[in-house]
Amino acid sequence: MGDEVYSQLMKELKEGKYVFTGELEPEKAGDVEEPIKAARELVGLVTACNVTDNPQSFAYVSSLAASYKIQQETGMECIYQLRCADRNRNALLSDILGAGVLGLRNILALTGDHVSLGDTPDAKPVYDLDSTTLIALIRKVVDEGKDLAGNEIHNPPKLHVGAAAAPGAAVLKAEIAKVKRKIKVGAEFIQTQVVYYPEVLDRFFKELGKVDIPVLVGIFPAKTYAQADFFDKYVAGVDVPPDYLQNMKATKQIKDKEKRKEEVDRVNIEFFTSFLEHLKDTPAAGCHIMAVGYPRIIPELKKVME
Amino acid sequence: MIAQEQKPIEEILGYLDGKRKIVAVGCGGCATFYHTGDKKAVKEMAERLRKEGKEVTEVILPLGVSACEIDMSSKFLEKNRKAIEDADAVLVMSCGDGVQVVCEYIDNKIGVTKPVVPANDALGLVGGGPTKFKETCQSCGQCELGKTAGICPLTSCGKGLMNGPCGGVREDGKCEVDPEKDCAWVKIYERMEKMGELDKFTEMRAPHAWSKAKRPRLFTIEEPVKPVRTILASLPSYLTLLGGPEYEMLMLF
Repeated sequence: MGDEVYSQLMKELKEGKYVFTGELEPEKAGDVEEPIKAARELVGLVTACNVTDNPQSFAYVSSLAASYKIQQETGMECIYQLRCADRNRNALLSDILGAGVLGLRNILALTGDHVSLGDTPDAKPVYDLDSTTLIALIRKVVDEGKDLAGNEIHNPPKLHVGAAAAPGAAVLKAEIAKVKRKIKVGAEFIQTQVVYYPEVLDRFFKELGKVDIPVLVGIFPAKTYAQADFFDKYVAGVDVPPDYLQNMKATKQIKDKEKRKEEVDRVNIEFFTSFLEHLKDTPAAGCHIMAVGYPRIIPELKKVME
Repeated sequence: MIAQEQKPIEEILGYLDGKRKIVAVGCGGCATFYHTGDKKAVKEMAERLRKEGKEVTEVILPLGVSACEIDMSSKFLEKNRKAIEDADAVLVMSCGDGVQVVCEYIDNKIGVTKPVVPANDALGLVGGGPTKFKETCQSCGQCELGKTAGICPLTSCGKGLMNGPCGGVREDGKCEVDPEKDCAWVKIYERMEKMGELDKFTEMRAPHAWSKAKRPRLFTIEEPVKPVRTILASLPSYLTLLGGPEYEMLMLF
């Protein structure tokens, strides 16, 4: 792995700046107007935004196309999420090279939820590579100008590659061993799955020990009770605290829209202020705020970290 | 062994729609273990088809005579050559291998081209028993068990990952795809931990080489195995006292 820096994200992380990243979700649509609008609201609030790739195995606009359009039209630097679930190693390589051509500079390498959990469960799952071997492929392409079979790549792309980690994983020791494996093969940064409990965070950092790459901790301030409930019920390795869920549920009773928004913000600020105060005392290099469609909360949360 | 289950009768009747003379071929191999091609299954199927007004010839293959091993099964097809020549369709009650081997034999050796249709769905290469079976090998052609603590992640991991676990492991160490199934990578971790080989766990395993699974795979052996009946003839006579299917079954092991 070289020391070259190709993206603002890596520049800030290497400078030791506390980094915030956001999240954008392309939709099942023929355009990317919504994520572009969301990206515009996040410009200046976060260093870069992840662009999701078929989350939960629901097929949406390609994250490659969306990342390019978002970056081009808003100037928001994108972290192009790339899953192994839907592509074999040839298709992954094509997309990696394509990302370089389109001026993308960060990839988050993911295995991806199983296709049977998505909205087209009869689709054939691929998983020719996994997150580890995808990271290895990207590093090989960027550092050596070669693909997995050793074929030469002319003018290789300049990309950084990140890995995911699940602090709340049910079998943490196996998860930690996997994260270390991903670091070993060349991951340059880590973004974690959403964490709500400080003790989950502490346990994760304790088990992980000292690592040489920055870790951005994922948080999810929910805009609605339904979002929080979805995370609690359907996202593996994420437990949402019952008190927070209860408080979010109570906001549904408020009829006045503005007052409801204010109360949702208050619940989030109260909960996350405490969480973020704790985050300051961890080795985290930044925070990945997955507040999809909820940019107004970000300045409030950033205040805590100042 | 190839696990299998019988297709819904509606689907089978659909394939046989408009066809009156049917030859129902059983299988004395895997299909007998799964009760999808044994004598009882063939007789029940024949009875069901007769209720639909069909004329059925039963071709029962005794235990040990698999439909897919044509050297043996052809003897039973030949005995029914006339019925096959006259049939409107042949229903094969085995896995897909048996169906296709029988189909090829009828095409090439009996010399007639007939609709040959399946009665069963094959569900994979499984081990275990006597009542519970598990798919643990997919015959990929490039065994990875030496790198994965003796558990095949290509088959036993819901995603077939060479470097798991994924982020979807459930609280009880079960798989995100199916809560009934163990996460293969948690099992691999536990075995490596017990064997003091966790350093192997954190090593990256290269992506699997799928080139050996190029289909269809063809295979040749130099010395063919002798048909079961030839083997039987050379065995001590007291074993023959067992007689019947039990005797033949014993010979298989």
